[in-house]
Amino acid sequence: MKKISKKTLNSAFWRWWYGNLTCFSHEHMQTFGYMWAMIPILKDLYPTHEEQSKKLETYYAFFNTEPQIGCIVVGITAGLEEARANGAEGIDDEMINGIRAGLMGPLAGIGDSLIVGTYIPILLGIAVGFAEGGNVLGPLFYIIVWNATSIWFQKFIFDKGYSLGGSAVELLVGEQATAFRESVIILGQVVVGAMAASWVNITTPIQIATNSEGEPVMLQANLDGAFPKILTMVFVILCWWMMAKKGMTPIKTLLIMAIVAFVGSVCGILG
Amino acid sequence: MSLFQAILIGLMSCTAASTIACLGTTVGNYTLNRPLVASLFVGLILGDVTGCILIGIPMQVMWIALVTPGGTVASDLRAVSYIGIPLAYVGCRAAGIDYASDEAFQLASSISALTGTIGITLFYGTAMMNLIWQHIGWAQLDKGNFEIVGKVDTLMPLISHFCLSFLPVTLLCYFGSGAVEEVFQYLDVSVWYVKALLTVGSVLPAVGMSILLKSVVNKTSDLLYFMMGFVLAAAMHLTLLAATVIGGVFALINYQLTMAKKAPAAAAGVIVEEEEDI
Repeated sequence: MKKISKKTLNSAFWRWWYGNLTCFSHEHMQTFGYMWAMIPILKDLYPTHEEQSKKLETYYAFFNTEPQIGCIVVGITAGLEEARANGAEGIDDEMINGIRAGLMGPLAGIGDSLIVGTYIPILLGIAVGFAEGGNVLGPLFYIIVWNATSIWFQKFIFDKGYSLGGSAVELLVGEQATAFRESVIILGQVVVGAMAASWVNITTPIQIATNSEGEPVMLQANLDGAFPKILTMVFVILCWWMMAKKGMTPIKTLLIMAIVAFVGSVCGILG
Repeated sequence: MSLFQAILIGLMSCTAASTIACLGTTVGNYTLNRPLVASLFVGLILGDVTGCILIGIPMQVMWIALVTPGGTVASDLRAVSYIGIPLAYVGCRAAGIDYASDEAFQLASSISALTGTIGITLFYGTAMMNLIWQHIGWAQLDKGNFEIVGKVDTLMPLISHFCLSFLPVTLLCYFGSGAVEEVFQYLDVSVWYVKALLTVGSVLPAVGMSILLKSVVNKTSDLLYFMMGFVLAAAMHLTLLAATVIGGVFALINYQLTMAKKAPAAAAGVIVEEEEDI
């Protein structure tokens, strides 16, 4: 009975953790990082160089996902490779790559929306709060909290992937995990709103009338009286609508907004 | 800026070269690459941590969420962090603008958008150049030499970083800072076109926020949660941490509701199974 040593598993994990995207290209994306992580495992399980290099061919196939949540896939394939080395039935190149290909899409979706789209912005948002006035505490907070939690999480799901195999995915896509994820995203929506209100400030210098005492009546003050910072909110939602509903790219939206702001300022509507 | 300082900033940009960063995803891309973190290091190099962090905040806000699905990017943060921050800092210093002022915020936002967008060429350039190393890798793999994989994945991309991070960043910081200083020395914020540029800087963060909004909103009704968060901060003047707590309460309620909805179905399923057993 062959078993991957703890040391080998650790080295596979750290190789993937470090090297998943270091040689990124649009053609092969994370393929080389994946192969590099699998090599110690193959060396541990198969005695001859020929066999090792034959088995490595399994991992020639294209791979790309959100690499941090993708740790679980590397863990799963480590487990599968161990089973294959012990002569388990039905584990071949096709099966391993079927699992890899089947997982990378859904996991990328979860990782992008939850880690990159929610967790990191919230941490950064809190860090920006701490950094106000140029305080070093802000960046330090982010560096420590992000690295500690993220590395712990990646090691955790890597180990789960290895020990539980395919059923480990339930941890991330099961009923409970889905409900949890959707709830965290609600938290994200609320926080994004608070961020937009705290950091974006779009104003108008338009004067709508003069009151009986001869003082100017400003549109901005009237708008804020009805709904504080409504102009800012309208702009954020407008940009969202352009990207989400009209399918514009962020760069195109950026360019349009730059022109709107420039022209608006020259005409005396914005700024 | 001295050549030595420019070289240090150039080296930092390699460690943090976006998705392809030579210190990996967690440390390189998601830590050192973020403008807020970078501002600390640029500040240490330039000798003014407080000033650089103040410049770094609006740059971070601009690109707070940067999801790169399938390797398509909206911005390259290495350019924002290690070209944008040093040049914006030098510019504000030359113009005598207070780093904590609205003008500095708007100026930094504009520079952030500009450097991030132009920096995309660095991202695609690095990814293209890595194709060479991968080509070498495949050729060696065909011969059965799989030890090459580690070199292809870790050592060879350093050459890409030297050509497409270190050189452009170092040169731009070294030669660019002088030019920026000269232009900014005579900057008058009351001229109409400078005013217009500052307005651009106040509107652009809205685009950054909407990129983030897009990554968390799935259906239009979700916008109500966004508006709630907005009202919490704008009308009730809650801080971000306080708003996070209130968001957490709504998240908990939603979680319990979802699980409660599923519980009877699961319980029913158990009964059916038991009957079958009988």
